[in-house]
Amino acid sequence: MKLHRQDLENYYALLPVLGAYLALLLVGSSQPDVWQLVAMLAFYCALGQAFNLFLGMTGYVDFGYVAFVGVGTYGMALSISGLSDMPDLGVWVIVIGLLVGAAMATVLSLAVGAVALRLRGAYFAIATIGVNEGFRYFIEGTHIWNGSDGIVFSRDLRLIFGRETAIELTTFWADVLVIGIAAMAAVVTLIYMRSKIGYALTALRADEDAAKVIGINVTKYKIMAFITSAVFAGLLGGAAWALKLTYVFPSDVFEIHYTVEAIVIVMLGGAGTLLGPIAGGLVYGLSKYWLAVILPGFQLLLFAPLLLVIVVLFPEGLVGVLKKRLRGHPLAKLII
Amino acid sequence: MDNPLLRIEHLTKRFGGVVAVDDVSLSIDEGELFAIVGPNGAGKTTLFNLINGVLLPDEGRMLFEGRDITHVPVYRRASLGIGRTFQIPRPFGAASVRENVAIGALFGRLAGKVSVEQALAIADDYIRRVGLRTDADKPCAVLTPVERKLMELARALAMKPKLLLMDEAMAGMNPKEIDGLVALLQRIKGEGVAVMALVEHIMRAVAGLAERVIVLHQGAVLADASTEAALSDPEVVAVYFGKPPG
Repeated sequence: MKLHRQDLENYYALLPVLGAYLALLLVGSSQPDVWQLVAMLAFYCALGQAFNLFLGMTGYVDFGYVAFVGVGTYGMALSISGLSDMPDLGVWVIVIGLLVGAAMATVLSLAVGAVALRLRGAYFAIATIGVNEGFRYFIEGTHIWNGSDGIVFSRDLRLIFGRETAIELTTFWADVLVIGIAAMAAVVTLIYMRSKIGYALTALRADEDAAKVIGINVTKYKIMAFITSAVFAGLLGGAAWALKLTYVFPSDVFEIHYTVEAIVIVMLGGAGTLLGPIAGGLVYGLSKYWLAVILPGFQLLLFAPLLLVIVVLFPEGLVGVLKKRLRGHPLAKLII
Repeated sequence: MDNPLLRIEHLTKRFGGVVAVDDVSLSIDEGELFAIVGPNGAGKTTLFNLINGVLLPDEGRMLFEGRDITHVPVYRRASLGIGRTFQIPRPFGAASVRENVAIGALFGRLAGKVSVEQALAIADDYIRRVGLRTDADKPCAVLTPVERKLMELARALAMKPKLLLMDEAMAGMNPKEIDGLVALLQRIKGEGVAVMALVEHIMRAVAGLAERVIVLHQGAVLADASTEAALSDPEVVAVYFGKPPG
């Protein structure tokens, strides 16, 4: 395939996105004091970037979204604890863990999507509320994967990598991985936007019935966005929760408030925009951090008023508003 | 008439006790241009919804190019070659005019055969052909009502349909715009596209547009004849204007 100038121009918008993630990485790795803050911001950006692939591009709200992050966490935990007697695998254990987590998220999203994505808007949202809680009680009730005792695998990690490397993995590389996952999700978002898939999603987000009449198999494209989004959630769980914390408990990961945070981040930044999740993740993460300092314990109060303000004052989100302002301006190619 | 483009046989649709479409049979040939007229509530839009699959019939069947499409899903009928415009246009709001029309090209009968770049080029072509003189990069949300109708027509044509269903395409247009649209439809017909237009009021357009008219009344076919014959049929006149005194 010949690369035309137009093809390149279509991808200019990656510059600010990848620039932002690179900046985050450089600031964090050169300033050890702020690394924990940077890691938190990276997590929120990645969560937004992954969720945006579904919420932003289809307009559907999935209240059970964190379940995909949860099974991704289990994928990594099961891989590390199961492969601890094979230290020769080395870093491949992490790769296997990510793949297993992504595969588990894919299976779960197929199961949920095949049923729930036949429902519209609010009905879909309601149907998905149960997924997360249901999965948690399923694990606890059936005692699979150690039930409510969870999986603690810090020892397994040391067995595979040795003490030094294990510490470096959990305190540094896990967060670098999160930034990488966020950047990858952004690249996939732009590829979708520029392809037939993006056009189908734009149409069905605006008017699902009209989209069908134009010839779009809406269920197929919704499921595609759903699975893609779930895969990144699974990867994120493996890196940000499993690898970083070296334990997993069902009550920690299947926790609906992460879904709510993801919704706030995507809406705040601008649903369906490429840069939105970064803007949303940074603003949300920093305000939460700042609130934790000045009013400890009250951070959770942030959600409701923030969401209200967004929906009432600027439903297009930060980047949506910026995009509108820049219409016709040369910079418009970069801000999408 | 042995191999019509679309053959409808004894189609019936009920909503509770109301028979919206009552045992309708008709057939349409390739490149035919005809109008379905009837007063408000005659079942015109329901018939359209049955043809493009938004609704499923209670009885009867439909053959498109000899193939039974009675239970084929909506989106697949589009790729077989059935395009449609709506009475109230339904643009994909945030997307630009060009993107809206390109979606038609990407997913209509050309689905899988054109790239995004090619679809955008096809879109530019049809935007020009329907006479839509506006910045194609504008979001559809800011178009005037008539511009929206033209955009939707361009989007439906970009699907390269064999049968185009037009729901009240001329409502709200001035006589000059109607004449322009009629001329455009004549050209489309010349390219072998069958056009089925729903018309409630604008007899001026019906007379200039269609060689054949089907009059629907209370869900049933009241007349299926040449335009001239149908419009002078006393029964049709009675439905539209009431019975003459005496």
